[in-house]
Amino acid sequence: MKLRFWGVRGSFAMSGKDFLRYGGNTTCLELVTEAGERLVIDLGTGATELAKSLMSGPLGKGVGELNILLSHTHLDHIQGLPFFTPFFIQGNKLNIYGADPAGTSLERTLQNQLAPHYSPLEGLENLAAEVKIESFQPGEKLTLGPFKIATGAVPHATMWTTAFRIEAEGKIVTFLSDVEYPDPETPDAGAVALALGADLLIHDSMHADEEYGMRKGWGHSPVAAGVIIAEAALVKRLALFHHSPDATDATIDGMVARAQARTKVPLFAAAEGDYLEI
Amino acid sequence: MEITFWGVRGSYPVPGPMTVRYGGQTSCVEVRSKDGGCLILDAGTGLRALGQKLARESGGAAGAYHVLLSHVHWDHIQGLPFFEPAYIPGTTIAVYALLTAADELQHVIGGITRHEFFPVPLEAAPAQIQYNEVEPGVRMFIGEFQILPIALNHPFGAVGYRIDAGNTSVAYVSDTAPFTDVLHKQHFLRGLEPLSDDDRATLLQIRADLVNALAKCDTVIYDTHFLPDEYRKFPHYGHSTPDQALEVCAEANVRRLILFHHAPSHGDDVMDLISASYKEKGAALGIDVITSAEGMSLRVGTT
Repeated sequence: MKLRFWGVRGSFAMSGKDFLRYGGNTTCLELVTEAGERLVIDLGTGATELAKSLMSGPLGKGVGELNILLSHTHLDHIQGLPFFTPFFIQGNKLNIYGADPAGTSLERTLQNQLAPHYSPLEGLENLAAEVKIESFQPGEKLTLGPFKIATGAVPHATMWTTAFRIEAEGKIVTFLSDVEYPDPETPDAGAVALALGADLLIHDSMHADEEYGMRKGWGHSPVAAGVIIAEAALVKRLALFHHSPDATDATIDGMVARAQARTKVPLFAAAEGDYLEI
Repeated sequence: MEITFWGVRGSYPVPGPMTVRYGGQTSCVEVRSKDGGCLILDAGTGLRALGQKLARESGGAAGAYHVLLSHVHWDHIQGLPFFEPAYIPGTTIAVYALLTAADELQHVIGGITRHEFFPVPLEAAPAQIQYNEVEPGVRMFIGEFQILPIALNHPFGAVGYRIDAGNTSVAYVSDTAPFTDVLHKQHFLRGLEPLSDDDRATLLQIRADLVNALAKCDTVIYDTHFLPDEYRKFPHYGHSTPDQALEVCAEANVRRLILFHHAPSHGDDVMDLISASYKEKGAALGIDVITSAEGMSLRVGTT
């Protein structure tokens, strides 16, 4: 299984020379099996770049099908949706799976995103592709082609988001972004269960540890929280993720170096770029 | 006056190596009068950096801000929840926009921070946010600025603004389609639809009113999202080309045209070509054409 980060930035897309190495697009990830089957997580602005790469395949010809998981619907995780080209090609089938943490159904929420005030698309029904939107309850297991997915709710300020444990071809990737544990010093049992033995844990690391005190309650983790989960869950590798819009390339370099100094778990900061072998 | 571009991109923010020089953030322009009065045109993603600067300048003290919105498509409003002064108690933010539907502005604009989209609702922000409806043709006065809202041709409606202060003027004309192929109304367009005689008459009227409103304006910032061949493919998207902007500006005797709302696909190299080519086309018409870039500040008028 391969993985590519198309967007690693949290909250806000950042352009400019200070954000070139890690990338400024908001959350979007692509998982691909050896056989070429795909799974996408979240549709932040990174999805606009992913869309370009998909155009040379079946989705560019209107004969493709794609499964998309949404961790939640805060804007930085869906703002690429109205610009995701596979939606505009008739014949494509796009299936979106997500929970309803805000008390509004996932379909209603996405419909609101495309409401006439906000978008010239004026509603999901105007997307040319066949779009299926399915809500699930966290805790449910999903099987999407070769991907076996366990889901779980994790706390995110005034709401919760969905974390995913994704298994395919004997490899495990756990996605735990947009999470802030009530006590980041103690490994959260639910998070550890989702990450147990993962080949790669992708974890919210928005705040440098020394800044976390000022930003407690904002719904995001200090770097240390991901390290603690990674150690408790015996993961093979940790990717720091959901970088702050204020974190330049140099800032992130420093966060990685400080985090690596405190743990034996190999870690790196997620960056836009090439496919990673899991 | 002085204008500063905080976001020049259309549709969505575009990070990465292709947008380092012209910028990747979406619509936001700061207008300053010589006495320091400030207007903010559109609240796209460029508003975040502007908010940081304003908060720094005020030393974190409360201020009063005026934000004129062209319309409420995402790329023109999504910076609002990231505007630092909104989190400074005592601050007032007056938002001006066109009412395009039966819903109130505070529901439409405030709705971008509903629970499922954003963690903190704007209405719970420490600043007081007031919403004001604008009406094309009806002048407004904010400090020393005299402001004329102008109807534009864009899906679900948009307004431009001509701003006069201290014997000079700047206008913001974004987003708009030209006035030839499509009359944008409040419904989804899959492609071109036949124009009725009434539609043609309406388009001519909108164009005449725009030319009239821009008469002898010093500097006009105009939606020039498309190159001509791109426009021909997507005439129903609600955006113009630099050629169409030049035509309007020439007719209105505008001194300077600023290309704005760059397409996400136009990287820095393409923008260099657009910039050079339209500088020349503008010169032939006696119009100084400048391509906006994030961070660019321009003086308008002599004071």
